[in-house]
Amino acid sequence: MAERSFSEEVKKLRCGDGSVFQGEGILAITKALLQSGVSYVGGYQGSPISHLMDVLSDAQDILGELGVHFEASGSEATAAAMLSASINYPLRGAVTWKSTVGTNVASDALSNLASAGVTGGAMVIVGEDYGEGSSIMQERSYAFAMKAQMWLLDPRPNLPSIVDMVEKGFQLSEASNTPIFYMMRIRGCHVTGEFVARDNVPPSYSNRTPVTPTREPEKIILPPFVYQHEQEKIARRLPAAVEFIKEQKLNELFPGQYESLGIITCGGSYNTVIRALQRQGLADVYGNADIPIYCLNVAYPLVPDELVDFCVGKEQVLVLEEGQPEYIEQGIQTVLRRRDVQTRVFGKDIMPMAGEYTGQVMLEGITRFVLASSREDVPLALDLSAVLSLQTPLEEADIAALMENLPPRPAGLCTGCPERPLFSAIKQVQEELGPFHISSDIGCHSFATAAPFNLGNTIMGYGLSLASSSGMRHALPHKAISIMGDGGFWHNGLTSGVTSAVFNGHDGLLIIIDNGYSAATGGQDIPSLVEPSLIASTIDAERPRREQWQTIEDACRGAGVTWLETVSTYNIEAMKATLRRALGSDLPGLKVIIAEGECMLNRQRRVKPMLKQAIASGQRVNKSRFYIDPATCTGDHGCIRLSGCPSLTVRDNPDPLRTDPVSYVDNSCVGCGVCGGNAHSAVLCPSFSQVDLVFNPSGLDRFMHRLRSGVRNWWRGRDLRRQQQLQL
Amino acid sequence: MRTTNMLVAALGGEGGGVLTNWLIEVAQPAGSHCQSTSLAGVAQRTGASIYYLEFLPRDAGSRPPVMSLFPAQGDIDIAVTSEIAEAGRMLSRGFVSPDRTALISSDHRVYGITEKSATGDGTADADFIIELSARYAKRFIHFDLLELVQRHGTVISAGRLGAIAGAGVLPFAKSIFTDVIATGKGAAANCAAFEESFQRAASGGVAHFDPEVITPFVLPEATTALGGRLLPKVARLPAAVHEVVYLGVQRLLDYQDEAYADDFLSRLAAVVEMDGGDDDYALTRETARWLALWMAYEDIPRVAQLKCRPSREAEVRAEVGAAPEQAIQVSEYFHPRIEEVAALLPSGLGRRLLSPGIMRRLVEPFLGPRKLRTDKFWTLWTMRRLASLRYRRRKTLGYEQEWTMIERWLGSVQAAQSTGLAQAIADCGQMVKGYGATRHRTTSRLMQILDEVEQGRVRDASAVRGLQSAAMAGDDPEPFEQALVQGQ
Repeated sequence: MAERSFSEEVKKLRCGDGSVFQGEGILAITKALLQSGVSYVGGYQGSPISHLMDVLSDAQDILGELGVHFEASGSEATAAAMLSASINYPLRGAVTWKSTVGTNVASDALSNLASAGVTGGAMVIVGEDYGEGSSIMQERSYAFAMKAQMWLLDPRPNLPSIVDMVEKGFQLSEASNTPIFYMMRIRGCHVTGEFVARDNVPPSYSNRTPVTPTREPEKIILPPFVYQHEQEKIARRLPAAVEFIKEQKLNELFPGQYESLGIITCGGSYNTVIRALQRQGLADVYGNADIPIYCLNVAYPLVPDELVDFCVGKEQVLVLEEGQPEYIEQGIQTVLRRRDVQTRVFGKDIMPMAGEYTGQVMLEGITRFVLASSREDVPLALDLSAVLSLQTPLEEADIAALMENLPPRPAGLCTGCPERPLFSAIKQVQEELGPFHISSDIGCHSFATAAPFNLGNTIMGYGLSLASSSGMRHALPHKAISIMGDGGFWHNGLTSGVTSAVFNGHDGLLIIIDNGYSAATGGQDIPSLVEPSLIASTIDAERPRREQWQTIEDACRGAGVTWLETVSTYNIEAMKATLRRALGSDLPGLKVIIAEGECMLNRQRRVKPMLKQAIASGQRVNKSRFYIDPATCTGDHGCIRLSGCPSLTVRDNPDPLRTDPVSYVDNSCVGCGVCGGNAHSAVLCPSFSQVDLVFNPSGLDRFMHRLRSGVRNWWRGRDLRRQQQLQL
Repeated sequence: MRTTNMLVAALGGEGGGVLTNWLIEVAQPAGSHCQSTSLAGVAQRTGASIYYLEFLPRDAGSRPPVMSLFPAQGDIDIAVTSEIAEAGRMLSRGFVSPDRTALISSDHRVYGITEKSATGDGTADADFIIELSARYAKRFIHFDLLELVQRHGTVISAGRLGAIAGAGVLPFAKSIFTDVIATGKGAAANCAAFEESFQRAASGGVAHFDPEVITPFVLPEATTALGGRLLPKVARLPAAVHEVVYLGVQRLLDYQDEAYADDFLSRLAAVVEMDGGDDDYALTRETARWLALWMAYEDIPRVAQLKCRPSREAEVRAEVGAAPEQAIQVSEYFHPRIEEVAALLPSGLGRRLLSPGIMRRLVEPFLGPRKLRTDKFWTLWTMRRLASLRYRRRKTLGYEQEWTMIERWLGSVQAAQSTGLAQAIADCGQMVKGYGATRHRTTSRLMQILDEVEQGRVRDASAVRGLQSAAMAGDDPEPFEQALVQGQ
């Protein structure tokens, strides 16, 4: 069960003809898929399309009614391979993932799919994780579309366009027998708006109406067919696609009065272009612009005839394409040179080669573009220096002083996160044994590479930490250490990591963090998700989540691991002892520690209602949280440097003699006990205490409370009298 | 005609999404188009995140507007931030324009990890950010939203919605806002928080402006014989140091006895003689502060004494929000080490305990991690017995060790060639903090600094301050070791 529930929103997916659908971009895409008659959907979660997977998962009733098959794929490669269903049969299907990373993982299957070609529409919805808010290295998916000859859609970011392009995309895929990338940018995924819905269409083939198995040997990617595929891509599929795009007017042309100028933009950037023009007085809020715009809702392939028609007679055009290299600009130059069109093409010469085209970047670029033209009758509301000065109104001295006072806010582990005590333990063992080189992985645990833990040297990809330690392990002064999440383990780590390491006699340490969910991407279920009472957490569980769960331990043993221990992350002392044992062991072979502790975000969502209900129904319940005694805290903050918990913070020192802030546990504390555990384990200070509030006390509780209070009050009276004597 | 553009900066888990959804719901009956976008991703895991909304009145007949998905510099009408450093971040990113932007912020602080993990005070200067915001925003509405919503028992989103409505930056009627929060979970608390926040923002956010009145400290008259003996000695010192010295005397009376407080005063009398009076007798004042704190060092009796202090139970109950008469259980984390036990014994015996032998083996079972319920009778009784060991403190090994260091530090202050250097050395008293290994590290680094001074390798105040800040940079020894090498 994912972190965000869409169970209310998915009801909108039943909207029929003519009703107005309101919601987020992601939800609109799901609706568009159903309106297009998809037969199967799948994918692997990851920002910015995690919610698409969550929506699909929460919409299984509706999918089932229509006969649409859904799979939460094991990886992007798994998802891409699903699309093979569309090779032989007219089955429409869509899969989704985070790109570029997911596309990289899926690339083998995708290349083969693109070579074989498709009969039914096949669509990959890629969440292009580029620019602010991204969590991965910055690359474009565009290159993959070009090299494999898949078409890439980049629709204008408003809901009607987004929905329309899904349906047109399937038609394009079928008209050209080519799989499609449908690109959604981060902000587009989360944009809200409305569109007029149509009825959902049940797929032509499903469990109710099975296909008749047929074989088409020429679609298998073996020689000699692969040579034919390569020819066919260029001779037949590409022209068919170009023809369809032209005929259906997938790219849009917006006229403007200054006809000697033109802007060629990708659909995804269209709104930013309009805003920049509007701020320069060259467009209104409804998008009526004075400079003609050619909007590429299909970013690949380009349509030479449309480009030539747009450019002929223009003095200059501006190509707006985010990121590098400037594939589209190069493509346009090639088209224009071949047709001998002499229009000057501006692009990356006045726009930044790398990075997002934000509002400010766009405004600067378009201003430069207009200023470069020979036309002097184009009025600009802001001259270039006015535009540049918008960057900041602050004076330099103020900027410098401000920068001194802006704390960075990197993403970090949540309050009560089970991974925190693991890293506290590793940090303490590192202090004993000397500096560690750690191969890290993708997941929440990658936050340990930042303050306050500063643990981890490289991240090579999802589930690849153990693999990435293998070239290093012979040259390290300690046993190689790799850290992997349960999500990464099932995605890739079992085969690329564990199996290969055992095969090669790797004698290092692999720590697998088993928190029960794919936590970093929003708490989705994974194969090893068990009933919560079997994972290290303290509250009794509801019903088991999965009847047949796949354990990490069995998987590792099956791959040949013999040294394997499961330790609760919350037991810092046991974890430190296990780490020492694993790192000091003379036994050959891989050592695996499964560090177990339920994701606290998920746990709180599960436990909070149970706790409330228990208190309301009169059960005796202890509710814990932690407390730091400000009188004994000396303000050295050693506890924070070992933890970094959001609820462990600082506040002004109540002691007027002391000047440094004291450590303080705020009300968001979930009582996980890690700060107390650290105080013990690292011998920090006597300031931590666990305070249990007793709800619905028993008779004995009440009696003992009264008795103890009585004794304490008597003592308190004596102490107060003594303090009186010390008055000055 | 153009859109009204709003930026909402939130920290992970603060409900920026809830606020955004409310605003979308408000726009509908208000006859306005509304488009929102957000950056979710990993930002929701405690990081900073931005929601962006645009509004435009619906205009029958024309096609829908084209709204931007990017907040742009110089194009923001309303910026809403949930804490004051985030207001500073919006300023730094160019999202606050003097001719256009209304900046609405709570002025409480949520500290970042670098602020929290400093060995001393690493927190940002909130007053500076408030001053800067007031200077650069067209309108700046700020008050403590967190305190407000906590008083109403709700979350910050409700307060922020009230502030947005009260600021009058969106042309929608108040009733449209209240309709949105009038139903659902916690509606009553939300409405109450909304209302108060609305009023505060409507009056510019300064309705309850309390200028901070700093009343100069006046040394109180003696009310007891004890006061009659000690206070005249305090009065002989310059008035600028009275407050700190008075607090110090109180602290040491509680810690030990009159003679101990008297000793404190006579040592200060020596320092004030070399103080030229610069910066309101900063040398004497800061020496007094750190000397009093160091003299009241936290040994086992002191910690036990503090755990039994009369005000403690009420403090704990208030902090955890216990209902009157609700039973609470307090489990304290203690970890006595052999060093702390040895520090309690007479010097010779203490040293014997620290070396391996039968004594050590006898004591060891009582050491190590302990989780003790101090709400229970026997634990509290034990604490009180431990606290009473303070009457024998002067004969202990710990006392001898601490005083060797105190006298060395104090001697260095007094031997300094200039007041500036003396003051820098005195300020190093701030380094003495922590327990166990941390305490050992902080004090031994202080002793290393004193070595440098005594051996003439470090001669001026700025060098001493440089060493001090390197020493307090963290647990990692490297910055301090480097600073020591560079100093030479």
